[in-house]
Amino acid sequence: MPSNSRSLYTPIPMHVLHGYYESTDHSLKTLELSFDNAEDSQAFFEAFNPGQFCLLSVAGKGESALGVASAAWEGDFVRFTAQKMGSVTSALHALKAGDAIGMRGPLGNGFPLEDWKGKNLVIIGGGCAFSTLYALTKHVHHPTNRDNYGKLTLVYGTRTSGLCMYKHDIAAWHENEDMEIHQAIDVPEDNWLHHVGYVPDVVRQVAPSPDNAVAVVCGPPIMTKFTLPALVELGFAPENIFTSLEKRMKCGIGKCGRCNLGPKYICKHGPVFSLAELNALPADL
Amino acid sequence: MNLILEKQALPGLLQSWREQFDVYVPQKLERFSHFMPLLDTSVLVTDEPHNTRIPPKALFLPMTETLVKFTRFGGYEDAHQTIHPRIIFGIRPCDAQAVQLLDTSFIQEGYTDPLWLERREKTITIGLGCHEPCHNGFCTTVGYGPFNKADLDALLTDIGDFYLIETLSEAGETCFRGLASASDETYEHALNIQHTAHDQMPVAFETENLKEKLEQNFNSQYWEAVSQSCLGCGVCTFLCPTCFCFDIADETQRRERVRNWDTCMFRTYSLEASGHNPRPSRVERTRQRLSHKFVYWLDQVNQIGCTGCGRCVRYCPVGLDIRAMLRRAQSLPFEVSHAL
Amino acid sequence: MADLDAIKAEAKRLLSEGVVEVLVAFMPGDTPLHPQPAFFTNPDEVENLVCNGLCQNNLATFLTRLPKEKKVGMLVRGCENRSVNALVVEKQKSRENLYLVGIPCEGIIDWRKIVERVGEAVLAVNENDDQVEVETRDGHFSFMKNELLHDSCLRCSHPTPVSADILIGEALAEGNPATAREAVEEFAAQSAEERHDWFQKEAERCIRCYACREACPMCYCTECFVDHIEPRWTESGATPAGMQGWHIVRAFHQTGRCTSCGACERACPMDIKMTYLTEKLNQDMKNKYNFEVGLDTQTQPPFATVTLDDKNRFTV
Repeated sequence: MPSNSRSLYTPIPMHVLHGYYESTDHSLKTLELSFDNAEDSQAFFEAFNPGQFCLLSVAGKGESALGVASAAWEGDFVRFTAQKMGSVTSALHALKAGDAIGMRGPLGNGFPLEDWKGKNLVIIGGGCAFSTLYALTKHVHHPTNRDNYGKLTLVYGTRTSGLCMYKHDIAAWHENEDMEIHQAIDVPEDNWLHHVGYVPDVVRQVAPSPDNAVAVVCGPPIMTKFTLPALVELGFAPENIFTSLEKRMKCGIGKCGRCNLGPKYICKHGPVFSLAELNALPADL
Repeated sequence: MNLILEKQALPGLLQSWREQFDVYVPQKLERFSHFMPLLDTSVLVTDEPHNTRIPPKALFLPMTETLVKFTRFGGYEDAHQTIHPRIIFGIRPCDAQAVQLLDTSFIQEGYTDPLWLERREKTITIGLGCHEPCHNGFCTTVGYGPFNKADLDALLTDIGDFYLIETLSEAGETCFRGLASASDETYEHALNIQHTAHDQMPVAFETENLKEKLEQNFNSQYWEAVSQSCLGCGVCTFLCPTCFCFDIADETQRRERVRNWDTCMFRTYSLEASGHNPRPSRVERTRQRLSHKFVYWLDQVNQIGCTGCGRCVRYCPVGLDIRAMLRRAQSLPFEVSHAL
Repeated sequence: MADLDAIKAEAKRLLSEGVVEVLVAFMPGDTPLHPQPAFFTNPDEVENLVCNGLCQNNLATFLTRLPKEKKVGMLVRGCENRSVNALVVEKQKSRENLYLVGIPCEGIIDWRKIVERVGEAVLAVNENDDQVEVETRDGHFSFMKNELLHDSCLRCSHPTPVSADILIGEALAEGNPATAREAVEEFAAQSAEERHDWFQKEAERCIRCYACREACPMCYCTECFVDHIEPRWTESGATPAGMQGWHIVRAFHQTGRCTSCGACERACPMDIKMTYLTEKLNQDMKNKYNFEVGLDTQTQPPFATVTLDDKNRFTV
């Protein structure tokens, strides 16, 4: 939790540094935000952990919960990628460099990176939910952190190639010998060099080893629903399979009640949960 | 300390508190009683055999409250609230117990709600126990009772022409400073009244293994059966002293972000922007309401999240009765959990 | 008094002969003052059926909550029948999929009038012709039914269902339309300031629980205007602007659709008497358009239709 004297409900003042579309159909837009005050930036990065999210605020429209898509080492800014869905995300899409924006965060638990040290990481993402996995990969792959983790395997699927996010980095990762990346699209396209198929099937094909490994899955509910059992089939124990959940959120700090899954709040105890934890919670998604 | 107060002297005492505090007491509003600020001409309602229509949670979590103000050029500032110290007089034990439950949600390490905290810190609660058990309440069934002392600075027992006052904190002692001590006889008499009232409350439903039965039957037809005639309004949750869910909305014209009471019984509560709704019908929403109170609160703080105030029973427009729903739940199959 | 045996017999027949798949009626509540709406699907369940003065809900509100194609039977009193007709006209249900068991109605007892007089510890309530016997923890009380009826029922014009498939009980005389009209005129005769004060006083108790909306058969929109985000029509909280906006707009959405059943007032936990708004609009519909909703399933409501010879040119 950010340690400032501001009320938990008051957004941190930020400005848009850059804004650019990720997807060819303009449904996905990335915003990189800078802090108006150095103390806020310091407090944020002291507390930040990949897998956490923030509530981006547009005064007069509301707030939207988005996963943080950048690693701390990348610089004094925070990156988010938003899919244009409703009134707040439409307002986010309309923002340009130099516009004011509010941010509450970092919120949630983030990935349990301490527990994952020394392990092989299998990172599986689908669609626009890949943003926090992108942050995770950027963090893990950085020289200062790389030796803490074992083999890096990525599976990233999107409906079409145009919807792939962070294309520049993804292209570089394909060339990188230090990680194994499997990219997939749902239906064949001309000049596509990688997998064609749904993520759960690609995971089965890739068949990552469960030995000393953890798997983390972030994707649309339907993808997660079928990928988790695929990992179980491959021999991953429920304590070693992780996912990031989403639900309608308002306060983001476990007060307003609405994002609950049983006795847990996705905004506070999550959004990252292991399959073992999920199995003990009601199927209220 | 155990003190006595002549009933006739109560109005004067309350008025004297007004020098330093805002005093909230139950007063008549239309056909019911409501906690309102004490004025010179206020008429107190202290002898009805039940609680107020709206629970006093409204004095800690207002129905609508500003969280953030929008400044020019897209900036934000904390909404500054001015809370004058206040005394809530005549709060019933069920409602005070509910405030204690809500404290566990609003006041947490690193996650304390500043608006709730300020109101709590500036409030003294003087409770009035229920010597005549109310007709639809079931406080004893859920582990509390008509003379429960949780979250009270003092508790009054009606013993005819007098009140016995049990002060429970320094603040409570200060409020009643100067009053005569109660004799042992008087105190015993009051205790008798308290125990009798407690014993007179009927057992509304069995709570043994209730949690297991509810949580192990997530997909049972039971939920549809008990929610068939539910209208999906918010009466039960808004009148409930332990319900705290709120919505956050931007009021552009007033340049404010506010929070308003919300309810898990509304369709839009968990409706996502994609159109997906994890709780698409009254069946799932009823399951959430009952499970929150009788399963999840227990998981979180090991207390039942219902204080048996009876309001949902009295005011449900279609006569749904949570006590009957839970009696019915007792016949659900379950396995005793072999937990550590 | 409703002939309960005859009602049950008809209910059993409808279910056992497959005339309907579900019969919407009432069953005893878990407390004496609150019978509950019930959905009977099996003739064996019908023994549980009740129909008495404490049945305070307009059952037509459940019509739009059941699948459209389902063959639904419903117990209907005067106002309920008209609500059902209004829903048929609005194409929310086809008349062929409905079987209405009509009950001429002597009025709904306002349970709060009982509690006002004898307190909440009510153990039993029995109706005998024009008397109501109430058993409480403190003793036995007797009232004239008239003094306990809900205010809307005291103004009722059409106690007998107008288009039931079967009528169980003697048709009752129509009420005097002057009673409803005079109530509206009396209020309208007050000064603008007095009326505004009343409006503010009633609206400020509102807690936005929407019990009125959910109890009303004509409020069936999947997305109510209060939930709409872009544009935002009214404040969503319990603020003066929000509460007043809610009351006014909901009343206007009822114009030409409200059957004066009073279910909204009975549902309100804050005792708000909101029917003064809809009653005024109902009178306006009568005076200006000679229209009263729900008397048949053909007549289109004036505000939902456009014809070439409409008086106001701007509507063409």
